[in-house]
Amino acid sequence: MAGLILRQIAKTFGETRVLRGISLDIADGEFVSLVGPSGCGKSTLLRIIAGLEAQSSGEVLIGGEDVTGVRASDRNLSMVFQSYALYPHLTVGENIAVPLRMRQLTAAQRLPVIGSLMPGARARGREIAGAVSEAARTLDIDGLLERKPGQLSGGQRQRVALGRALVREPAAFLLDEPLSNLDAKLRVHTRAEIAELHRQLRATFVYVTHDQVEAMTMSDRIAVMMGGEILQCAAPGVVYDDPEDLRVAEFIGSPKINLLPADVGDGGRLSVMGHPLDLAVPSGARGVRIGLRPEALVVADAGAPLVGRVVHFENLGSDLFAQVAVPGLEDRVVLRASPRMRSSLRLDATVALSFDPAAALVFDGAGKRLRDLRRPAANRHREAVL
Amino acid sequence: MTATDTILSPQQLSAADPARRQRRTAWMLTAPALALMVLILLAPVAIAAVLSFTNYSLGNFGFDWVGVENYDKLLTRSTYAKMFTATFTYVLTVTPISVGLGLGAALLINSLTRLRDLYKTIYFLPVMATLIAMSIAWEFMLHPTIGVVNQTLAKGCGTWVETLWPWLAMHCAEGMPLWLGNRRYAIWVVCFVGIWQGFGFNMVLYLAGLTSVHRELYHAAEIDGARSGWERFRLVTWPALGPTTVFVVTISSIRSFQVFDTIEAFYPIGAGPGKSAYVMMFAIFEKGVEQNLIGIGSAITMMFLGFVLMITLIQRWLVERKVHYG
Ligand SMILES: Nc1ncnc2c1ncn2[C@@H]1O[C@H](COP(=O)(O)OP(=O)(O)OP(=O)(O)O)[C@@H](O)[C@H]1O
Ligand SMILES: [Mg+2]
Repeated sequence: MAGLILRQIAKTFGETRVLRGISLDIADGEFVSLVGPSGCGKSTLLRIIAGLEAQSSGEVLIGGEDVTGVRASDRNLSMVFQSYALYPHLTVGENIAVPLRMRQLTAAQRLPVIGSLMPGARARGREIAGAVSEAARTLDIDGLLERKPGQLSGGQRQRVALGRALVREPAAFLLDEPLSNLDAKLRVHTRAEIAELHRQLRATFVYVTHDQVEAMTMSDRIAVMMGGEILQCAAPGVVYDDPEDLRVAEFIGSPKINLLPADVGDGGRLSVMGHPLDLAVPSGARGVRIGLRPEALVVADAGAPLVGRVVHFENLGSDLFAQVAVPGLEDRVVLRASPRMRSSLRLDATVALSFDPAAALVFDGAGKRLRDLRRPAANRHREAVL
Repeated sequence: MTATDTILSPQQLSAADPARRQRRTAWMLTAPALALMVLILLAPVAIAAVLSFTNYSLGNFGFDWVGVENYDKLLTRSTYAKMFTATFTYVLTVTPISVGLGLGAALLINSLTRLRDLYKTIYFLPVMATLIAMSIAWEFMLHPTIGVVNQTLAKGCGTWVETLWPWLAMHCAEGMPLWLGNRRYAIWVVCFVGIWQGFGFNMVLYLAGLTSVHRELYHAAEIDGARSGWERFRLVTWPALGPTTVFVVTISSIRSFQVFDTIEAFYPIGAGPGKSAYVMMFAIFEKGVEQNLIGIGSAITMMFLGFVLMITLIQRWLVERKVHYG
């Protein structure tokens, strides 16, 4: 087991810059997810860590050692591929045994028939068989060891791929969207299994996904990648509640965060839709936008800053999401309410929405988070204080 | 059936039975294809099978049944012993070597980043060229005195090559070999031309097979510790090419059994010095067409079909049992 350190990793394919200086410290035993939209370079980064792709610049350190120029098979990492990449001609047991056979047996001992007659091959073979059946037991696939991958379901294949990765003790596990081929139910199940496995093994995991729910539920920290950069790397709660960047706020959270354009008045005081807020930004800020999570909005009396018409409902049972069209706003505002509110939130009903200014996330024109917020200097508009 | 058919005869009733009607339609629809198949494929084989027990000749009005005499000849006469020797020498030489070379060429071309198409075209050229024309070129190259092969070999005489290569030294002293006229070399020359002509075809089949190998499998193999190219080949490429290999071997061996045109071009009469290149196809042609001994020709044909059928059955068995990972 070992930690990973990435220093200023950059990668270009011809003219395209895919990674633009990625730096990341992953502690020993940590579970870090790389999330981001399709094509942002997650797989490329993982493959650079694994050594399957060479970085254009920067360095990768595994357990404190620079592994630039060390080939993939010598980096002692395990990887689970998006397509599972199981050897179709080998049984499940043989598939799981491959990493051990390749590393622990000599070339002569690996020969088809005479290999098992080589000195020491028998004992090694028994050790390997023991390790395979233990890995299979951990993953609950010990009944499948004689089958070929073609005779397994997607979820079973995924577990075989995991088994092949954890049969030896690598410095770290790299997983590239391992759940993307599973159906929704199995995905939830396997998600929990992987998280549990991580707790059990206390190993370093780097987990690539474009599914934010997976990232939020499994990881110690989430690295949000976009356009070849890591925008923020922090614990799931922090990324959700306290995003550094507008793109992070937009990417994390479902339904998406509500963004309201805000005007900057005298003394930096913000107002939304003509309603002054009890919030001020340093003067000179332009193009300010306020981000509000759906749960930050509450239904209020008339006179609240946002008034609109309910145009769509999504009832998830535990939660109720209402889309409210507010005149003057391009996007609909999404509100989370408890199902008890159902009667007052009829389709086409007019609702007024207010929010606690402390829950508002304020971003400047460039999308950077504005943290230097103050109470407004002059409190002239008492009636508008929410 | 229209609504006015109120009273139905028993025949009409049975025709109205839907399952039966469907069955009859099915037979009617398959009948033309079935008739053609029987007429063009099965009937000639059956006729050949029948004729192989007779002494029929084309133009005769009748024939006598001779029982297994034709087959008895095939198994006892020395001419036919030579025929089997030549055929199996050719099949067992050309098939493995042309498959191996095809695989090697495909792997090499697949590892290239540039000039792929050029190499593909070059290796495929002999396949596209007619063997008759190419045989003439080879005949010319292998000419004992003016052929480029012997002239090149002669250049080695008197140099250090001769000391390293006893075979060459021997021929420098005794004169260069008559490649096509020598009983010892003739069948090997024919094999060589067969390999030269056929491996490009296998290469193309292997190249197609290689495109279906999943790239991530190579990465998985690398991560799993397969360091050398040979280990990756054993773990990923070779198993993935299993179905292709079975197909290529089958096709190559059937094509090898069918070899005829090289021999016909090199040796229009006699099939090589001392009948050393007397392969089955040539025997069928010679007996059945040239000498009008339809009975014995048919017997050889039946044997030939038996071999081909055996290869096909082995292929089917392998495909279903061994290389189908489904
Ligand atoms: N071999 C390559 N040559 C050229 N461009 C490449 C190559 N591999 C990847 N890219 C480009 O690099 C970018 C990042 O690719 P990558 O596979 O890392 O995306 P990703 O974040 O894993 O996306 P996804 O979630 O869809 O898997 C993409 O725009 C892709 O087109
Ligand atoms: Mg990817």
